[in-house]
Amino acid sequence: MSLARIRWREVLARFGLVMALAALVLILSLLSDRFLTSSNVINVLRQISINAIIAFGMTVVIIGRGIDLSVGSLLALTGVVGASLAVAGLPASVAIAGALALGTCMGVFNGAFVAYAGIAPFIVTLAGLTIFRGMALAITDGRPVSGLPPAFMTIGYGNFLGLPVPIWIMLGFLVLTHLILRYTALGRAVYAIGGNEEAARLSGIPVRRTILFTFAYSGLAASLAAMVLTGRLNSAQPSAGAMFELDAIAAVVVGGTSLFGGRGGVFGTLVGALIIGVINNGMNLLNVPSFYQQIVKGGVILAALLIERLAATRRA
Amino acid sequence: MALLTMTGMTKRFGNVVALDDVDFELEAGEVHALVGENGAGKSTLMKVLAGVQPPDEGATVLAGESVRFASVTEAQAHGVVMVYQELALVPSLSVAENLFLGSIPRLVDYRALYARARELLEQVELRIEPEQEVALLSIGEKQLVEIARALAREGRILVLDEPTAALSATETDRLFDIINKVKAQGVSVVYISHRLEEVFRIADRVTVLRDGRRVGTCTLAETSAEDIVRLMVGKAVRRYTRPQRQGAGELGRFQVGGGGLEPTTITLRAGEVVGLAGVIGSGRERVLPTAFGLHGTARWQGRPVRSPREAIRQGIVLVPSDRKTQGLVLALTVQENVSLATLERLQRLGFMQLAREREQALHWIERLSLRPPEPAKPVHELSGGNQQKVVIAKALATEPKVLLLDEPTRGVDVGARAELYDVIDDLSARGLGLLMSSSDTEELLGLSDHILVFRHGRVITELHPPFAYEEVVAHVTGAHQMA
Repeated sequence: MSLARIRWREVLARFGLVMALAALVLILSLLSDRFLTSSNVINVLRQISINAIIAFGMTVVIIGRGIDLSVGSLLALTGVVGASLAVAGLPASVAIAGALALGTCMGVFNGAFVAYAGIAPFIVTLAGLTIFRGMALAITDGRPVSGLPPAFMTIGYGNFLGLPVPIWIMLGFLVLTHLILRYTALGRAVYAIGGNEEAARLSGIPVRRTILFTFAYSGLAASLAAMVLTGRLNSAQPSAGAMFELDAIAAVVVGGTSLFGGRGGVFGTLVGALIIGVINNGMNLLNVPSFYQQIVKGGVILAALLIERLAATRRA
Repeated sequence: MALLTMTGMTKRFGNVVALDDVDFELEAGEVHALVGENGAGKSTLMKVLAGVQPPDEGATVLAGESVRFASVTEAQAHGVVMVYQELALVPSLSVAENLFLGSIPRLVDYRALYARARELLEQVELRIEPEQEVALLSIGEKQLVEIARALAREGRILVLDEPTAALSATETDRLFDIINKVKAQGVSVVYISHRLEEVFRIADRVTVLRDGRRVGTCTLAETSAEDIVRLMVGKAVRRYTRPQRQGAGELGRFQVGGGGLEPTTITLRAGEVVGLAGVIGSGRERVLPTAFGLHGTARWQGRPVRSPREAIRQGIVLVPSDRKTQGLVLALTVQENVSLATLERLQRLGFMQLAREREQALHWIERLSLRPPEPAKPVHELSGGNQQKVVIAKALATEPKVLLLDEPTRGVDVGARAELYDVIDDLSARGLGLLMSSSDTEELLGLSDHILVFRHGRVITELHPPFAYEEVVAHVTGAHQMA
């Protein structure tokens, strides 16, 4: 009796997200003839690139049963530091490398408190959220950093093989993250720890080092996103990235990664970021006032979690 | 007339008969011990009494009134209170709040609450402040708070399930004083224990269960410990012996200790299964986690073992007692679980060699006849016995010299159990050294080359084949020391 039904359930579990995205695209292309044009599609992809990059790092943390609330502030800090280094006369490549290294170090800072001091990730990264913001404001005295070398313009506005550079950076980071999660021992350790930390420890997996890595990777992701944003704005704002952590977490959970750890992946996160991006874009095209857009976005997040909850009850 | 009479109690779980037509009587002001091996039905009988599970058949008469408890609350309203082995207190609340949990009025008058709490604590001779947070108490103190809570609910019948498992000798003495005191007030106590010397110290009568049946009720003044052991074990004298292995050299030595386990040295030979016997709280349950570097201090061949990682590097691996919380990552597949302890070996330049990983999984699936033989199957879809095989496969993939087996067949059905025994035999034949800790006497007898019996945190005796079932039970329960 249940063969057909089980198949349906599997199909829904595996492709439900993509189907939801397809349905959204279909509806919006019927409602607005400007939606499904190549320029608008590229536009949506470029708009989501910053959130998606942050969310890929966040995915790694959340699979390991953590959370990183500090990414928005860290984006601002690494953005202004990278820009300041470039303005001070260092070659753009060195300035960017410096910003990425700083982001990774700050991630290690978060991770050390979580893994070695045993403090809840929520609390540690909440502290990080205010510390990094404060540092960004202190360094710049609250003023934006501008007068950047042209290399940053290339990151923000350049094209390569017909696609904007931010999209290439997003896709490259997607592939890198996917490779780490699915094909390395390190990635496997992240899934194991998120799924059952005790069993991972008893299997001899270096639990602390692995947790440290997840936060470092999230820090790297935030600083990479900072470079893209700085390029787009052609300046670095110490106030940038406020609430970005929430958009990133939303993309992760809408993308089907479990907040309880151990399940999920980075392609789901891409689809999650696309769903949120498409909804934003569609509502803009349809002239929905931005206040209502926020309500709709929140509703989508709740709906996604509700579906995950129902799927989890089925599994058990 | 008896305060409580249970007749014809029967309880089935699927095909398993946990209780088979059991009668039980309890007098007012009596301490009545309930003994039997694991799985004999002691806890099930008491759960039926306390309203945790309804019986399939049987009648209960309490103080002349026919009763049938549908819930714990209902049983408590009739004065039947169970004091659980796993302590059921809220650690973050105060002692007083715990004492009256569930019966605190909407507006709390703290002064009255504390005054009443102080009275109750005096009754159990516990000199702690009612304002104190429960989390800060010792296990013994928590146990006494639970008994005070039972008294607060005006219990006429207290059920104590293995109350001394985690208590020190002085705490046990104190508990017994209090049991005698409440008994003098007319309260009846059902005392479940594996420790016969305690049963003789505290109880008036004893009921022995075996395989879900009552096999006897005796007055302790007219009974010897040997009689009780004979009842627990059954009439047929069973002897067990394994074919002796010749010329096996010494593999190494464990020195373990800490946390209720006195410094103990265990020598292990290649191809040998050393069984560890003892009740919970005897120190037996600490030996394997300690040897694996989880707590306490451990040395193997003189070298310290401070973490599971170090243990695995030295060729020691543990199959933990609880596969769901300690053994498996349920969200991962069979293949991924099998390789958890060998990730470093299965990678090159950081990348998993997925073909080799699959080969490894297939190898162990075949060796251990794992069903279904699909490496990509999510492990949570497997039966208990096959999940246990996955945990064993993960351990064996590290190519250990020493395998630590903690309750290897807990929650595994009979068929899979026999298969696991074959696996254990095969491993010892291949020259592994095995340490097996188990609360299943039958299992220890059937598989061990010799058995170390633990009591009070140390090895009290070492038994060699041929083993007599009675002898092991007598040592474990302490009956032997009393003769």
